Amino acid sequence: MILRVENGAYAYKNGPLLFRDVNLEVRPGELLSVLGPNGAGKTTLLKCMMGLLKWKQGRSSLDGTDVASMSERALWTTVAYVPQARSASPAYTAFETVLLGRTGRLGVFSTPKQADLEKAEEVLALLGISRLSQKLCSQMSGGELQMVLIARALAAEPSILVLDEPESNLDFKNQLIVLDTISKLAARGIACIFNTHYPEHALQRSDKALLLSGGEALYGSTSGIVTEANIERAFGVKAAIGSFETAGNELKNVIPLHLSTGEGGAAPEQPEQNALAAVTVISHDYAAAQRINLLLHEYSDMIVGRMGMPYRERGVYIIHTSLDGPRSRIEALSQRLSIIPGVSAKTTYAKEEHELA
Amino acid sequence: MSSQRINPEASYRLGTAQKLLLLILPLVAALAALCFGRALISPREVFLAVWGKLRGEQTVNGTVALTVWNIRLPRILLALLAGAALSTAGCAFQSLFANPLATPDTLGVAGGASFGAALGILLGFGLVGIQMTAFAMGIAAVALTWLGGSGRGRGLTSVVLSGIMIGSLFSALVSLVKFVADAESQLPAITYWLMGSLQSAGYKNLALGAPPILVGILVLLLLRWRMNLLPLSDDEARSSGANVKALRAVTVICATAMTASCVAMCGQVGWVGLLIPHMCRMKFGSNHVSLLPASVSLGAVFLVIVDTVARSVTAAEIPVSILTAIIGAPFFILLMRRSGGWRL
Repeated sequence: MILRVENGAYAYKNGPLLFRDVNLEVRPGELLSVLGPNGAGKTTLLKCMMGLLKWKQGRSSLDGTDVASMSERALWTTVAYVPQARSASPAYTAFETVLLGRTGRLGVFSTPKQADLEKAEEVLALLGISRLSQKLCSQMSGGELQMVLIARALAAEPSILVLDEPESNLDFKNQLIVLDTISKLAARGIACIFNTHYPEHALQRSDKALLLSGGEALYGSTSGIVTEANIERAFGVKAAIGSFETAGNELKNVIPLHLSTGEGGAAPEQPEQNALAAVTVISHDYAAAQRINLLLHEYSDMIVGRMGMPYRERGVYIIHTSLDGPRSRIEALSQRLSIIPGVSAKTTYAKEEHELA
Repeated sequence: MSSQRINPEASYRLGTAQKLLLLILPLVAALAALCFGRALISPREVFLAVWGKLRGEQTVNGTVALTVWNIRLPRILLALLAGAALSTAGCAFQSLFANPLATPDTLGVAGGASFGAALGILLGFGLVGIQMTAFAMGIAAVALTWLGGSGRGRGLTSVVLSGIMIGSLFSALVSLVKFVADAESQLPAITYWLMGSLQSAGYKNLALGAPPILVGILVLLLLRWRMNLLPLSDDEARSSGANVKALRAVTVICATAMTASCVAMCGQVGWVGLLIPHMCRMKFGSNHVSLLPASVSLGAVFLVIVDTVARSVTAAEIPVSILTAIIGAPFFILLMRRSGGWRL
């Protein structure tokens, strides 16, 4: 199922356009993050995308079918929505809440069948929250409730999952749990779209990013969109993007430095440079190797050499690739490799000519 | 942790024993109520009287047969119906507005129906005429509430506010009717009627008032799983794939028709719609698959018991509304303290 938005624009009643020219495409297994300052319309954008709000202009479609023309039932068995976890939840148990996710697949007058009960149990187990089954949602912590809401969405067996600020208001550990869950779901082939306040979560998790900046929508590969220049433009904050190296990966982080002075905001456009690089990937998960191959295929025009080696004794798959192409595309590829769960990926760039001299 | 695993089926549906109990309790209460009264009648005589009436034979002495069949039975049927209807409507409105303080009267139904009844008494209508004007005005009040409060971009809160306004408008109209009513005969009749009484019960009233209640309860029972979507936020409910607008509309129509029909038959019986659903929530949880049948059954049981007490303890009958509060409020507080608070 491919979700596509073409020329989307939205305005509140009699107001100016909140955002315009939204164009995006999300394929199975892809993760799209939506960024933007408070009030830029991130949640509104998600709602328009799913047809909960009507686009002022443009349209969204699923495999070419306009979402606005789909029946509620057909739409909501494909797309599932995880709203922001509110504190005021009805006093249903986690199990009942997850079961509610099956409603779209039930007849109007029917109650859940044995198969639905089993599905709900399965989803709770998949997310590792079976222990919460009989706990009341009204008595849960924010982190627990968020996981239950994700479980409810999954119970509908969607191919596209839309999450509204899933990791806001959560502590450190729970943020990690929620984000890991999203990554895991994407790796299982579900397309995930999520709003976030954290540019680094976008860098560490998503293939693609959409940044709302003053009514404009910047869209592309995450490494190309979440840049210091774009952050300054959208948020009015001078930030530094750095990276932290672990044994297996290079993690990007974003540190806000100070409010933008307004002067010299627009950095001069750098001419695109070609670079030479070697990417080494170790996949600890055989299924992920499949996904890596698909990704490499997408960037095959840059690949000048490649060696793949299954190392069965240790159950890992090792891939070396040599790349020659625009630096931004190489960065995009290495970023997208690094976000796959169970994969270690690092990129080494060849020294440039002036460095060699 | 895995040892704590609970059978999921048992956790969200009523067990067989509970189902049976909810079915039997109203029957037992009704049977007991047939026996009790200012004159005690043994269960055997009650059975014989009903049996004889159905067969058209004279089985017990005339007074007993008359008491059981013409006085007590219609009244008990009315109590069963009204209790079930008020409790179910209260439960539906609390879920619909996600507000624990919502009652069957939240949208101004009872205010409208009271005005209709008062008007009927003022105009000198018969019992059936009063019932019909009450029902019509109850429905009209909710229609006004809905027209005033709903609309594009307005939430359910504005409907509730509109309901409060319409309710107070109609209670002013009731005062107006009382003001112009004849102080000797009509005014006491109106006042007594407004207090709520099941005294006027007869098969004619029941034939007119029962269908809206029975249909309402049946529809809501059929929708019991979907009703779980009612307390959720708009977008959440819609993204479940259900037609939430239709669900809300059906809920409002059923609950309104049931309440209007009740008020038309027996005046304003307060408390049942607030007490019973909350007691059921404490005992059975918020899941309507079990909550709704429990509310239907226990609402019926409660009103039968209260009405039996109302007509048995003293020679002059106590208005039932007074008793629902006197019995209900302490019991509710006791249950709340023991179960750790109300929940929705």
